[in-house]
Amino acid sequence: MATQSEFVIETEGLKKSFGDQVAVDGVDLRVPRGSAFGYLGPNGAGKTTLIRMLLGLTRPSAGTMRVLGRPMPKERSLALARVGAIVEEPGFHKHLSGRENLWIAAAAREPEAHMRIDKVLEQVGLADRADDHVSTYSQGMRQRLGIARCLLSDPEVLMLDEPTNGLDPGGIQEFRGLVRAWIAEGRTLVLSSHLLDEVEKICDHVAIVDRGKIVAQGSLSELSAGDDGAITIVCDDPHKALGAINANGSLRDVEEIASGLRVLLRPEASLEKVAAELNKQLVGAGVAVYRLEPSHVSLEHRFLEITRRLGGDS
Amino acid sequence: MTTPESTVQLPRSLRIPFRLERAELLKLRKSRGVWIPTALLTIGAMVVMYTAIELFHVYNSSKYGPAGGTLNFERAMFLMGQLAGMIAAALVGAAAGTQDLSSGVFRDLVSSGRSRTRLFLARIPGGLALLLPLVAVAYAIAAVLTVVLAGGLATPSVTLFIKTGLWVLLSAGIVYVVSLGLGSLVGTRAATISILIAYLLPVQGIIRNISVLGRARDGLLSVAVERLSPVPPPDPHDVISMSLSTSLIVLVLWVGIFGGLGLWRTQTRDA
Repeated sequence: MATQSEFVIETEGLKKSFGDQVAVDGVDLRVPRGSAFGYLGPNGAGKTTLIRMLLGLTRPSAGTMRVLGRPMPKERSLALARVGAIVEEPGFHKHLSGRENLWIAAAAREPEAHMRIDKVLEQVGLADRADDHVSTYSQGMRQRLGIARCLLSDPEVLMLDEPTNGLDPGGIQEFRGLVRAWIAEGRTLVLSSHLLDEVEKICDHVAIVDRGKIVAQGSLSELSAGDDGAITIVCDDPHKALGAINANGSLRDVEEIASGLRVLLRPEASLEKVAAELNKQLVGAGVAVYRLEPSHVSLEHRFLEITRRLGGDS
Repeated sequence: MTTPESTVQLPRSLRIPFRLERAELLKLRKSRGVWIPTALLTIGAMVVMYTAIELFHVYNSSKYGPAGGTLNFERAMFLMGQLAGMIAAALVGAAAGTQDLSSGVFRDLVSSGRSRTRLFLARIPGGLALLLPLVAVAYAIAAVLTVVLAGGLATPSVTLFIKTGLWVLLSAGIVYVVSLGLGSLVGTRAATISILIAYLLPVQGIIRNISVLGRARDGLLSVAVERLSPVPPPDPHDVISMSLSTSLIVLVLWVGIFGGLGLWRTQTRDA
């Protein structure tokens, strides 16, 4: 019997190997109910493999997993009955219409799924093209049809693997709107992506994965807490500016950007105080400062730091 | 969103029966690459055969007999039960066994949580629902033309008509399940069709004529199917005699082995 757990997905020591290649390496994942959970990692980090295991598409080499409180793959039919997913590019029978493809997908779901076909076509804006062959659809339309297919089961959990791949900016915007609507309805979203900006805009919880291992996991605010000091300096001579501030003991890292510098502060440093110090040093060195902007370290920056460090360790 | 507990159950009267089987049929019947060659190999083959014989008869009735009558019916049924119908069944079975994989839909069906065994088993009635009506129509055309174009020739008895009809349906059904299993095992339509056509056309014929193989030839699909035929083969010297029980065992093994392999691969394949 499934219990109404705080987490909709729980894995322990989940591992998947293909011969000597370890794609997923001892993953302990907790996806809170009702969250928008980003599973972030560079290409080849094992994101798709993890989602494939959670959906029963491939068997784990070791470890345990529970979806909606039910052990997988033992109770897969019950666990997945209220899960909708898009893994990589959604596949369709191209010689059939969008509506017929949904009919086929609904046949594998609960009987009520057939009653939702018109509604989900309307939701994704494909009602007008529902009876056209999928072979005539654009990639964006196929992606939307994939989303419609996910919604047929009225899912509690949506697992989307790189869902914006191939979408134009308008399609991405539209997709974000749909996702926000699902989250507002109380569904849990698991979004696997290498687009960190995408995850920052949609998700409230994140796990960062590299080479099959989770290297950081928590809420967005938890992950960006502790090192929130960064200052962007826009000036006339970045090289001269670098020389002027290099000796400042409050700085952890300095990098040149297109029209100036971006500095990272040590955790104990005060953002405002250091900003004032830097301004004084730069003006004193004869650097014309156009803009001096304190900011928080983005998730993207933190993600790149982690993966870069891991790369350096190997 | 509704919670599982609050989901409203659809009244039984509004539920659609055999949904997975209907879905399989929908995929196949809407595929022109499947149903057109199947119709040509079944209905088309019968129409062409009877039309050609009748034209010869009209052209030179002293040399060529009428298209109807028992002998031509037997030939037509052998064409259907041992060649064209088998190839048609192989085409439909290969498509049924591979189309979800090649389109990428298999992954979605599996991730619905539906049992893989159920997904595989639904393909059997789903594909037969396309194949057998076409075979039945072809058979009906042959039966009608056998009587209508008989001229003065004798026509088969009602019993023979019924037995022969059942035999061609059985033959197509067996090859369909074998092809479905092989398709599900191999995973690609082109490879499945190539293997089956190679086996059904040259390979089987060659093995059948290697008399040194003796009773080992009883394992051939065409030999076992032929044993069940209610009509004699066109070439009586080509008959390999075997008992009815052996024939049934061989056919059960063909269906069981290939059906079992297809099911096993469907259950274990990474989607």
